[in-house]
Order: sequence, then structure tokens, then C-alpha cells
Amino acid sequence: MLIVVIGGSGSGKSAYAEELLAGMGEKRYYLATMRPDGEESRRRIKRHRDMRRGKGFFTIEQPRRIAGALAKMDAPEESSVLLECLSNLAANEMFSDEDGEACSEEALTAEICGGLWTLAQGVKNLVVVTNNVFEDGIRYEEETMKYLRVLAGVNRRLTERADFVVEVVAGIPVVLRRKEGEEILPREWEEERKCRL
Amino acid sequence: MIELYIGGYAQGKLEYVKRLHPGQEERIKNHFHLWIRGLLEEGKDPEAETEKLLKENPDAIIISDEIGNGIVPMDAAEREYRERLGRLLIRIASEAGRVERIICGIGQRIK
Repeated sequence: MLIVVIGGSGSGKSAYAEELLAGMGEKRYYLATMRPDGEESRRRIKRHRDMRRGKGFFTIEQPRRIAGALAKMDAPEESSVLLECLSNLAANEMFSDEDGEACSEEALTAEICGGLWTLAQGVKNLVVVTNNVFEDGIRYEEETMKYLRVLAGVNRRLTERADFVVEVVAGIPVVLRRKEGEEILPREWEEERKCRL
Repeated sequence: MIELYIGGYAQGKLEYVKRLHPGQEERIKNHFHLWIRGLLEEGKDPEAETEKLLKENPDAIIISDEIGNGIVPMDAAEREYRERLGRLLIRIASEAGRVERIICGIGQRIK
């Protein structure tokens, strides 16, 4: 099963995604994409680690080439995996070295999507957290606009294939798409999550 | 009962709320986001002030801009403002009996 969770900064999307994973069986991996460069990143990483404490996640650092995480798992096919988050992964793929910046939008989008498909097919459940960074109306320099287009392209392709797409607004999950004819999550269970969050 | 109305800039939030609750202007706390921004700039504690607001106004209708849906700002104070406001909106939403997001003047009830 593939689930996409989208939300803005401080929307509660991570807490919601972790709640989803908590209901998905014993083997749980957390794929961390943020690089600890600078005090603020370290603080954010610590905040997320504290949130995950006691929830039974095993953390894998995978800032790039996301499918590489499969080799670091014990039994990937039995595992539920939380990828946090796509906006960091896309930025790391684009801005880590000159190769990334020289790549075309199409090539970058295809490469990131390819990694995600491999990962999604190799595990039991994949929950991908992604960031709504598209609504501030600011015209950034071309490099950032290219980043926005790549991330948006990956988001769109990913949600096309996803079984369940949910936006988190002020901590409240708003279902955007649920694959027809498939029982993704029991509806009562979603309601219960809603009340708890 | 606390109510929360959120949405982007100039989406008709106040007008929507006034239509929904005619004659109840005194319950409305508009521009919650600007209040939080002001508190942060003055070095005050927005979390404590928000708790006070909720406690003293258990019938408040709170209206706030949604500001978290953009590129992470370069400026640390702007990042702090986005993050803190987002967390406070989660806090208010958890207390609220009704939460709506407004877009193009249209409300979508999410709680």
C-alpha cells in the first residue's frame, strides 16, 4: 500500500504519518532525509526523534538515492516504511552536487520517481510525507522555481499511483483521494485517528 | 464553543464568518496570525497568550491566515513564525468544536 501525506509547515503532517504507521504492523522503518547541517536542522531532527521515541521505529539515514534504503532493511517485504520527507529528498538530489543542478527537470523527476517506485514495490507499506511549498505566491530565482516544478511533478506522479492521499490541515486529516473499490483503511479507523489528533 | 476559520490571504474569511454568525461580532478574533507575529516580535510567549485567550473566551471564533504552504524562508525569524503559528493552529483546532478552511469565499468544514 502506498500512502501520501501532504501538509504545510507546522501542519502536524509528521505526527499524523507516524500515527498511520503505528497501526501498520510490527516492522517499522523511518527513512530520514534531512542532513544535520547547522543548529536548526539538528534541533528539528531532535524534535522528530523525540516524537518517534517509543513508537518502535528503526531509523535509516537516506538523504539521497532512496531505493538504497531497501538493502539496509532486515525484511523489507514485511516492513512498513515512513519516508520523511520528499521535499528534502528532492532538494538533496538537486543541490548536493553539480550533477543534480545540471540535470533536466524531466530527468530529475524520473530519477526520484524511479527510486520511489522501487522502494514502494519492495516494502509492504510505504507512507511518504511531502510538503506543500507551492502557495506563497513569490517568484523565486529560476533554480528554486525548477525545484518547485520537480517536487510538484514527483508529488503528482506519486499521488496518481497512491492508494490513499491525505492533506493535514491544523492537525486535521482531509482525505484528497482514496483509490476506488479498495479497502485502504477502515473508515471508522480514520475517524478514530481524527479524534485523537 | 471555540471555532477556527483558516485560509489564505484575502479569501473572504471574515465575511464568511459574519454570514454564518450574524450579530456575533464580539465573539470574533480576527487576524490571529498577526497577533502571534506581534507577540513574537515583542518577545512575549504566544503559547501562553493563546492558552489565556482560549480559557478566557471559550466562545471565541478565531480567524487566521494559513501561512505554512510556501518555500521555507531564508530568515530565521520568519521560519520561527510559520512553525509556531502552525503548532498553535493545531492546538486551537484540537480544542475547537468546528474548524473550517475558506478558499474563494467558500468554507469547507474539516471538523
